[in-house]
Amino acid sequence: MTLEEILAVRPSPGLPRGYRFPPFERTILPSGMQVLTVHVPGRPLVSANLIVRQGASDEPAQFGGATVLAARAMTEGTQRYPGLELIEASERLGATLHAEASWDAFAGSVDVVAPRLRAALELLAELVLRPTFPEADVARLRDERLNDLMQARAEPRRRVEQAFASALYTSDSPYSRPAAGNEETVPRLERSQLADIHGSLLAPRRAALIVGGDLSGLDIPRMAAEVFGSLGAAADGPVDGAVHAPRAQSAVDRTTVRLYDRPGSVQSEVRIGHPGLARNVPDFHAVQVMTSILGGLFNSRLQMNLREEKGYTYGVHAGFDMRRGPGPFAVRTAVQTAATAPAIAESLAELRRMRDTRVTDTELAIARDYLVGVFPLRFETPGAVVAALGGLFVHDLPDDELARYRPLVEAVTAEDVQAAAQQHIDPDRVAIVIVGDAAAIAADLEAAGFGELEIVREEIPGDGDVGESEEAE
Amino acid sequence: MTAPTVEFTDERLPNGLRLIIDEDHLAPVVAVCIWYNVGSKHEVEGKTGFAHLFEHVMFQGSRHVAKTEHMALVQAAGGTMNGTTWLDRTNYYETVPSHQLELALWLEADRMATLLDALNQANLDNQRDVVKNEKRSSYDNRPYGQWLHKLQEHVFPAGHPYHHPTIGSMEDLDAASLEDVAAFFRTYYAPNNAVLAIAGDVDPAQARGWVERYFGAIPANPAIPPLGDMSLPATIGAEIREVVEDRVPLARHYFAFRAPHFGDRRSDALEVGAQILAGGKGSRLYRRLVREDRIAQDVAFFSLGLIGGASMAAGQATVRPGVDPDIVERAFEEELARLGKELVTDDELARARALIETFELEALQRVDERADRLAMYATLLDDPDMINRQLDRYLAVTAADIRAVSAEFLIPENRVVLTYLPAAEIAGQETAA
Repeated sequence: MTLEEILAVRPSPGLPRGYRFPPFERTILPSGMQVLTVHVPGRPLVSANLIVRQGASDEPAQFGGATVLAARAMTEGTQRYPGLELIEASERLGATLHAEASWDAFAGSVDVVAPRLRAALELLAELVLRPTFPEADVARLRDERLNDLMQARAEPRRRVEQAFASALYTSDSPYSRPAAGNEETVPRLERSQLADIHGSLLAPRRAALIVGGDLSGLDIPRMAAEVFGSLGAAADGPVDGAVHAPRAQSAVDRTTVRLYDRPGSVQSEVRIGHPGLARNVPDFHAVQVMTSILGGLFNSRLQMNLREEKGYTYGVHAGFDMRRGPGPFAVRTAVQTAATAPAIAESLAELRRMRDTRVTDTELAIARDYLVGVFPLRFETPGAVVAALGGLFVHDLPDDELARYRPLVEAVTAEDVQAAAQQHIDPDRVAIVIVGDAAAIAADLEAAGFGELEIVREEIPGDGDVGESEEAE
Repeated sequence: MTAPTVEFTDERLPNGLRLIIDEDHLAPVVAVCIWYNVGSKHEVEGKTGFAHLFEHVMFQGSRHVAKTEHMALVQAAGGTMNGTTWLDRTNYYETVPSHQLELALWLEADRMATLLDALNQANLDNQRDVVKNEKRSSYDNRPYGQWLHKLQEHVFPAGHPYHHPTIGSMEDLDAASLEDVAAFFRTYYAPNNAVLAIAGDVDPAQARGWVERYFGAIPANPAIPPLGDMSLPATIGAEIREVVEDRVPLARHYFAFRAPHFGDRRSDALEVGAQILAGGKGSRLYRRLVREDRIAQDVAFFSLGLIGGASMAAGQATVRPGVDPDIVERAFEEELARLGKELVTDDELARARALIETFELEALQRVDERADRLAMYATLLDDPDMINRQLDRYLAVTAADIRAVSAEFLIPENRVVLTYLPAAEIAGQETAA
């Protein structure tokens, strides 16, 4: 056969090897804390996460950022390991010790080889149970966050995210600000607020230790009881283990365009959207298929239109950020300045098309096959498996949620996809937020008539202008 | 504890394609990674940015694959894919469920054999626009965005192949004709200029059969032009300083040094030294500049791993507001100098080794990383077995090795200091095309 004859025939797939999400076991300690273990044979590097179902959306509004800052400060020293001794001790084990908080949860984690797991868990327990929050280190971390906010203000892609969140939600909704707090709330954060947050985290019925890897010969529940048995021992009274959604009131009642002026900008950062969905949405799998087709796949509708046909952008994505409450639905892109208004018009047209017509059989097949096929790739390592189980725990999803993911995706129909778009995407009521050069694009935006245009001229750190806001007709 | 050995086969097809297969059935997943020995260092003056433009053109279709269909087929197979361009090479990779391996091999073969059948002016123009937007997103519209380009210009003299950035010059891309682009492909995208690595859930005999079938008849290019002499004096010779006033919120210093090339034993010592200097919260620079003196917002130190003539080691420190940038520079430089004078402590070395061991183990868990490293070591060092020896080399580094390499390279006469300062007012910014 010639090379041409050989290449002219597309190969067909072989027989798929069976796959199932690694089964996990649950133990409940006397305190009420859960221990989930997942044995992944042949993986000597073990991941352990201590998750508490309490995050930035649960903290008092005036102390926004306290949970994230508390997590950061927890590696700054404990009663037994002051200062950097905790980090040094973990490094001697070759263990990577972290603590972080998101909107939904706090997570302390360590990755380490199996024979050193017990020692690493003891360090993780030190971090979680006995941090000292030294005054000086709290002050330094607070300053670092304020400096980071200054950097975020200067960087267009970060500036637009913050502006977008504040356009989507009313100011009394936590999601209207960054999870790590803003310029108003962060200066208020003192040692006492972090200690309060830490005290409230020690609630065993909201906590789970999740351990994955090759666990042969290791009694994880026993280790957990010995190391974390005292978690919650000091807490007074039972703590509610239920999942609560925070207030997330939409501020989007009509389409508006808010343009943050960056004179001379070579690109416009663009976000289009509205408040979206919580993770516990009943048609979760249809939404996944729908957003893959709209703006998730490499060849999504938005990407084919804006990148491959028009050449407006290096990339465009769309999707729902699902939290315990309804996080944002967003189309995200950066486009060349001259293409700003046309790119927004095309994006809105794609949102409408998603609602107005059914996806083709080919689009549906590609999206479903992708989500089903890529599932085992996502869970190649224990770290990824443990993170997925953390999501189950945080959102209180059924134990078989991951096992039934693939059949449920396969069952999604074109009608389901269209229904999901009609129910969850509203192209006639969106916030459009842009960071770009007003002199170059304001007239186009006005002429396009997407909605009322507001131009914000603000001080940009490192620049020099003084901020003001003006309304355009 | 040591990382498990990666067992692989290493052979060449008659047309010169190097094939490496690493069989591992832990997960039903297989990675295909192909490295072409062509990067921005192969570009000639007036034709910069071609290697990277090609990374885009390679997804625009070939004789039996339509424009962007490569992505559609891989994603419909439940796989992921991408390509990257660097100074030394260009690579393409797919990770797929194991029963889809043949598809990934066929896709790579079809574009190696027949890419030019699908290349046309419309595709070229469209991808040129996409690349210009990539440049705006990744470099122009980002604070400090040009730092690497500036360091390259200073560490490698004009005319050296590492002097110019991979994204290239937009003027060169605009001037590129279809024929220029086709000639670049014919020259470098040949089987004897490529390494194909397959790692994961694979039957080696079956995979070898597919590779022979799809790639075996693609003709070699007997006339791949050799690279010019890339050798350089070991050090720069005198300190180079540049100050940039830019739209940045905080001042930041970048430091760069000419360094031993990738694969040189001294670069192992420099890597371990970098871990002790700036690898995490227990490191020297973090401890002093961020934690104790509170003069920096963040610190970093790393190597670029270049193979030709010399490489680059680089670091950065972002200056806290209200702090004199000179103080930060001095503290950073003092720590580098100390590394060249005093031996690191046994505890520092032990911590660095333990962490490096974990990082290696973590990376080698994934089939895509194993395929990538096998192809990398084969392409850059002609030695894929380095995947099994690199960790031992790191662990063999002594305190004296770190002191020696630091004393030789992390010195003022071999230093570039690039400082970004916030500009009060910026006039005449470049405008969009």
